[in-house]
Amino acid sequence: MLCCLFALPKTVVADEFGFAVKNAEMTLQGDHYVLNAEFDFALSMRAREALQNGIPLYWVMQVKVLQHRDLLWNKSLVERSIRYKIQYHALLNMYRVRNELTEQVTNFSTLTSALDEISSLHNFTVIAQSELDQTNRYLAAVQVKLDRDALPLPLRPIAFVNPQWYLSSPWFVWSLKN
Amino acid sequence: MVPEKLKPPLGVSIFILFALILLSLQLMSSATQESSELSAMYSWLLLINALGSVVLLGLVGANIYALARNAKRREAGSRLTVRMVSLFVVLALAPAAIVFYFSMQFLHQGIDSWFNVEIDRAMEDALELSQASLDQRMRWHLRQTQQLTEKLLDVSTTVATLELENLREVSGASEMTLFSRQGRIIASSSINPGDILPSLPDEHIWMKLRQNGEYVALAPVTEDELMIQVIVTVKANEPQYLQVLYPVPVRIADLADSVEFAFVRYQEMNFLRNSLKLSFSLALSLVLLMSLLAAIWIAFVSIRNIIAPVKELVKGTQAVASGHYDQFVPVMAQDDLGFLVESFNEMTQRIARAHDETRLASVEVENQRAYLETILANLTAGVISFDTNYKIRTANQAAYRIFHIHVNHFVGRNLLELVEDYSELAEPLKSIQRLLEQADDIWQQRIAFLGSNGRQELLCRGTPLFSQEGRRVGAVVVFDDVTDLIQAQKNAAWSEVARRLAHEIKNPLTPIQLSAERLQHKLSGKLEASDAEMLQRSTRTIVQQVEAMKEMVDDFSEYAKPSKKQTFSIDLSSLVQEVLALYLAKSGVKFKFEHGAGRLLVKGDPVSLRQVLHNLIKNALEAIDNEGLVEISVHRVQKNNADFVEITLYDDGPGIKDEHLEKIFEPYVTTKAKGTGLGLAIVKKIIEEHGGAIWVDTTRRLPGAIEVSQSEGGRADKVGAGFIIQLPACNFD
Repeated sequence: MLCCLFALPKTVVADEFGFAVKNAEMTLQGDHYVLNAEFDFALSMRAREALQNGIPLYWVMQVKVLQHRDLLWNKSLVERSIRYKIQYHALLNMYRVRNELTEQVTNFSTLTSALDEISSLHNFTVIAQSELDQTNRYLAAVQVKLDRDALPLPLRPIAFVNPQWYLSSPWFVWSLKN
Repeated sequence: MVPEKLKPPLGVSIFILFALILLSLQLMSSATQESSELSAMYSWLLLINALGSVVLLGLVGANIYALARNAKRREAGSRLTVRMVSLFVVLALAPAAIVFYFSMQFLHQGIDSWFNVEIDRAMEDALELSQASLDQRMRWHLRQTQQLTEKLLDVSTTVATLELENLREVSGASEMTLFSRQGRIIASSSINPGDILPSLPDEHIWMKLRQNGEYVALAPVTEDELMIQVIVTVKANEPQYLQVLYPVPVRIADLADSVEFAFVRYQEMNFLRNSLKLSFSLALSLVLLMSLLAAIWIAFVSIRNIIAPVKELVKGTQAVASGHYDQFVPVMAQDDLGFLVESFNEMTQRIARAHDETRLASVEVENQRAYLETILANLTAGVISFDTNYKIRTANQAAYRIFHIHVNHFVGRNLLELVEDYSELAEPLKSIQRLLEQADDIWQQRIAFLGSNGRQELLCRGTPLFSQEGRRVGAVVVFDDVTDLIQAQKNAAWSEVARRLAHEIKNPLTPIQLSAERLQHKLSGKLEASDAEMLQRSTRTIVQQVEAMKEMVDDFSEYAKPSKKQTFSIDLSSLVQEVLALYLAKSGVKFKFEHGAGRLLVKGDPVSLRQVLHNLIKNALEAIDNEGLVEISVHRVQKNNADFVEITLYDDGPGIKDEHLEKIFEPYVTTKAKGTGLGLAIVKKIIEEHGGAIWVDTTRRLPGAIEVSQSEGGRADKVGAGFIIQLPACNFD
């Protein structure tokens, strides 16, 4: 777990597809920490094909704040996530992105503009400053992953074995300065 | 027993297992329904089922391994189990494989049949039709909007607002907005008075607008509401943009939606076709695999249960075959096998009982045999049994005492073979062998021979043995050493003779003597001198002879009388020395005396024993004619686990003739011209009364006597005679 958390994010250049967290930071806004992050979405051929055949894809951006402990595993203080759904509409030839947290729907005429839309996250409130104290060390971690369990049923067993569906990014972990 | 009770019955366990498998498979099947809530758990269910299959596979594998190992070791019941399991697996696998094959065929064909080119085209056409229909409507609205712009040419902002309101109502639009070239809102009108801010075109639309001067598109307002967004340029002095939002009629929107849904669904299914096939095949394979594995495992368990009593029976039978009769196989069920097991138990019990009885009987027989053997061993009579070929089968202890041969060491050998080793027993052994071979019935015979202890006389009785069929199976010879008995009889007879002689002869002797003396006394004066002399001579002869007869009768009575009058502990070596001292003065005779260490004590009458020594020494001196060597020795010997003092006396005289050997100790047997012939008889009597034995030693000669000079008449001279006396020794201090 620990080693997974501290693993550096994979560079997108090396792979043809896969999600990645380009950068992420937490800043104090008022009395809350807010997350600003940029992601990179590179869909695999198979995922793109599925999307164009009307299969909705879901991905989840997860953020969590961990309290570092020397002897035990890190304690998770808060864990928040935003789930997006992207679906192609054949009639309108549009890509529709839906933020399931805010239930906001946006339409895009191209896939690139749709992915651009979700590739940045601004001022996402994560945790109140009061929940962190000065003595401890804290870590923040961000990940974006494809929700394979939301895929249509026949696709799921394949999604677990075909690397084309291994799109989730590793955890992007950085130390939180308070 | 308690854990056995706590264990759930096998049937219940199997039932629960089956229920679990079915539940798991059912859940997986339910999860494949899109609408199901279990859909999210599909992956987990798949994993659980796969793990279940692996576990079952492990169970079946372990069972197969155990079975193979047992079969290799040729354990009881393993081959039957292998046969039954193989049969079951073949029976279960064959139809399952056939069903599986055809199911897969149907599945693939079924899925493929959903899709074909016509439907494909129809779907695409339907979508295109919808798009064309909407497109047409959009173009119509574009034209309509362009016409509307004419009314907005060069109007002021205030008028524009009013005009827009008017135009919106006329055209049936839901929203109408006039933008400046820079994108600033000049005027706006909405069907909803609440909408203060009209919807704004994004950058992408503005870019298109600047390029083409017009823009038309379908815009989804909400997820299920469509609008036609038209933006055209108002060609006034200052160019403006008019954005109009026309609602798509609900019916058209629904139809388009429906067509789109069907198209998307079809596209999705088409895309997922192979995945679907794989997924269904996977599920089907999993179901079949789990069912088969469960069935095979249960088959293993059930067959093991069925075989268990057979296995026990085989083990029991093997145990009984190897002699363990106390077998009890537990009865597991009241069926045919149970009946078999019960019968087996009954059988083993009976065998065990019979075996016990046999064992007891054999122990009884053995005891009986041992008892008889003990009796036989302790008999004073020697008993030797022979087989059909007259070979020795058994011999008792008394046989050794009599023959001084360990006869029982020669079991399986003929009596004649013993003769080669023991030449001194040749005579009796040959006689017995001859009698055995000749006699067909019980026989009895006295056999006399010269043994190591002197002359021995045996009373032999032989009995041929016959089997129940009348076949001759051997013989038994019983023999007693009757030497002492016969001797005793002879002694008794001689004593009787002596008593009678004393009584019948001695009594008339005194009157005869007196009468003769009286005759001489009365007639000597009256007769003439010559007659008187004759009378005197005759009378003297009578008196002398009567005296001689008296002496003879006295000797007899002496012989008849018991000699052991008083009993003392006597040191024999000193006694011999005392007696010898009396003869040492004799010239021409050399005495050699040897004695063992310590005091050689015997219990006896010193007077009688002195007489014995005197008689023997006198005999020896007479035999050597007062010239030669007399050798005497006194030693301690052990014989038949008893201590004896042995006195040996040898001379180098003419020896004893063979014909005299047998009767030398009998009264009135003498080789001397003078003598009563009672000397050795008295010696023997005294020795026997002291519990001892005397015999002539024929085996050893004095060194001087070995040089046998053969006289002309062929008579052996200077052979030498030897006597051996053995007296029971008393405990040494």
